[in-house]
Amino acid sequence: MNIEIKEQNGTYVGLLSGWLDTNEASQFMEDIKVLEENIDKSIVLDCKDLEYLCSLALRGLLKLKKLSATKGGRLVLKNVNGEVQKILTMTGFIKLFDIE
Amino acid sequence: MESIVFWGFNFYAWITIVTVLTMFTVLLFTKLRADLVFLGAISILFVTGVLNAKEAFSGFSSTSVVIIGVLFVVVAGLTHTGVLQWIVKHLLGQPKTYSKAVIRLMLPVAALSSFLSNTTVVALFVGIVKMWAKKLNVSPSKLLIPLSYASGMGGVCTLIGTPPNLIISGLYAEHTGSAMNVLATTIPGLFCLFIGVLSIIAMRQLLPDRQAPEAAFESTSDYTVELLVPSDNPHIGQTVAEAGLKEVRGGSLIEILHFDDITTPVPDDDLIMGGDRLVFAGQIDEILDLKKSHGLVNADHHVFTMSEVDTNRQLRTAYVTFGSVLINKKIGGSTFEKDNNMILVAVARRGMRINESPHEVVLQAGDTLLFECSPNVKIETEQLTSQLQFFDSAQVPNIGKKTFISTTIMIAMVVLSALNVIPLLQCAFLAAMAMIIFRCCNVDQAMKAINWEILMVFAGSVVLGVAIQKTGIAERLAFGILDVCGTNPIVVMTAICLVGTFITEFISNTAAGAMFFPIMYQAAEKLGYEPYPFLIALMVSVSSSFATPIGSPTHMLVYGPGGYRFSDFMRIGLLMNFIILAANILIVNIIYPLTPLNP
Repeated sequence: MNIEIKEQNGTYVGLLSGWLDTNEASQFMEDIKVLEENIDKSIVLDCKDLEYLCSLALRGLLKLKKLSATKGGRLVLKNVNGEVQKILTMTGFIKLFDIE
Repeated sequence: MESIVFWGFNFYAWITIVTVLTMFTVLLFTKLRADLVFLGAISILFVTGVLNAKEAFSGFSSTSVVIIGVLFVVVAGLTHTGVLQWIVKHLLGQPKTYSKAVIRLMLPVAALSSFLSNTTVVALFVGIVKMWAKKLNVSPSKLLIPLSYASGMGGVCTLIGTPPNLIISGLYAEHTGSAMNVLATTIPGLFCLFIGVLSIIAMRQLLPDRQAPEAAFESTSDYTVELLVPSDNPHIGQTVAEAGLKEVRGGSLIEILHFDDITTPVPDDDLIMGGDRLVFAGQIDEILDLKKSHGLVNADHHVFTMSEVDTNRQLRTAYVTFGSVLINKKIGGSTFEKDNNMILVAVARRGMRINESPHEVVLQAGDTLLFECSPNVKIETEQLTSQLQFFDSAQVPNIGKKTFISTTIMIAMVVLSALNVIPLLQCAFLAAMAMIIFRCCNVDQAMKAINWEILMVFAGSVVLGVAIQKTGIAERLAFGILDVCGTNPIVVMTAICLVGTFITEFISNTAAGAMFFPIMYQAAEKLGYEPYPFLIALMVSVSSSFATPIGSPTHMLVYGPGGYRFSDFMRIGLLMNFIILAANILIVNIIYPLTPLNP
């Protein structure tokens, strides 16, 4: 699993790739702390190359989303497909995120 | 033989007296089955010529005995459709004081007992009252005696509420040709109940404050229940605390299994996700209520919407039998659910609380399993019965349309017979048939519900009553009481009721009713009064056994769970006997004023 975060015109873009399972989840939570610090900004997480995400990661993402909503920011998931799309549908989280 | 007279009784009368006394001694001091003892007594009376064949078997064709038998089926219909559980759940509530708790407990119990078997009602309430007492922080021993007393006093309120009422009213109909109304005892019964409730509240200090012996294992009846979160659940994304799923009524969430099988020990901030399997431990009916209140489901595969779940499925409980192939196996790791078209919902184990998902539990012999299955699923197959013993649990509710149907049948039966539209016997038969036709219970359940031992005792009691009357014992005793009490009808009524109240402490109230009927009837006639009010007073008094735990089967039901001693019943019960006797005599004479017989 890899996450690459960069700022583009005031929007924070995170490129997620690989298999985000429980072994990777704690590192993922550490990595997204940068986003937490800029939670009042616009955040886009690109899931084009993300193959899987576990419940712990999903939990981290939803916490981020809730935090962003309270701080006046915006968090969007982009290019959701394949297994990740299935997981979001099954967990019902698909309705909780803004997906582009 | 009839000409040999000793102390005013002939030879046959002495045989009857000795037989009856021996019978009660055997019942008191041995553990022989009551029906066998009664049958033995009847055999002696028949063989010795006290009774002829017709009289000896008259109990078995007695209308009141037949009604009692048929009512077992009606009650089975009510029990299997969840009527009792519904009432229990909605009526107890959370009272703030002991007095309110006693009222909340005694009134519904009395109301139920006025139509159903007292034993059934108390058996159903015992476990629930114990849990309720714990919630209210009251010792169960403060509530279990009131529970048993309420069922006895409630039973008196209708003729069908308790067997002695049926026996006495049946004998009255045979003697006079006119039937008593099914609600003849309602006002006296309600008045005595009112006085009884007030007395319990006033004398609460006399009730022991005792922990039940098994209090340490209070959670032994806890079920571990697994419920699924469908993808369209409204609580998705909320924490378990926000969704109100951490501490629920009657239990708590002990484990969450997310879609990736990550088990969490459930911190308050864990999020609810579709596909989660929530594992709760606690009271089964309260936890299953979460299906309605929180949109959770039972399923063996993931469900995306609630509509995918078959709402007609029913809950069935089963024990894992000794020698079952399921022992030392997990349901989760087998094809059991698919093979048998049933879903494991919950597991309970005596002696301990199980803290893992029901599917992951390594089963032991004696574990109780709760399955959700199609109403048409066959549980009597050879393969299934070798693994599990299915049974009907009073704790597991199956509330639905049939609950309403069975209640309607019951109410129709009472109303039609109370208004004399159809006689009670026919009404009872129609109600029993309706219960089976509308599938409130099946034929097997109906047959199993008929307690033949109790029926035999009732029939035997009627026959003993016949012998006591035929041999002149009743008349002699009536004269004896009149000699002692004079000719004041109220004094005589009180005296016989007093003796009846104390005799019924040691013998079945049905037997007391059957035996005191001829004595009370004769006494009233000898005094020149219509026996009706005397018999109403007798009905109340033979059901008023409060002073010993052996006075009523319902007392025995609460004796162990309440951690009582024999003397606990004496302390409050003796006073209750006198209070209810006074209330009984007062109200009966107000409602049914004594009327002289037409010369």
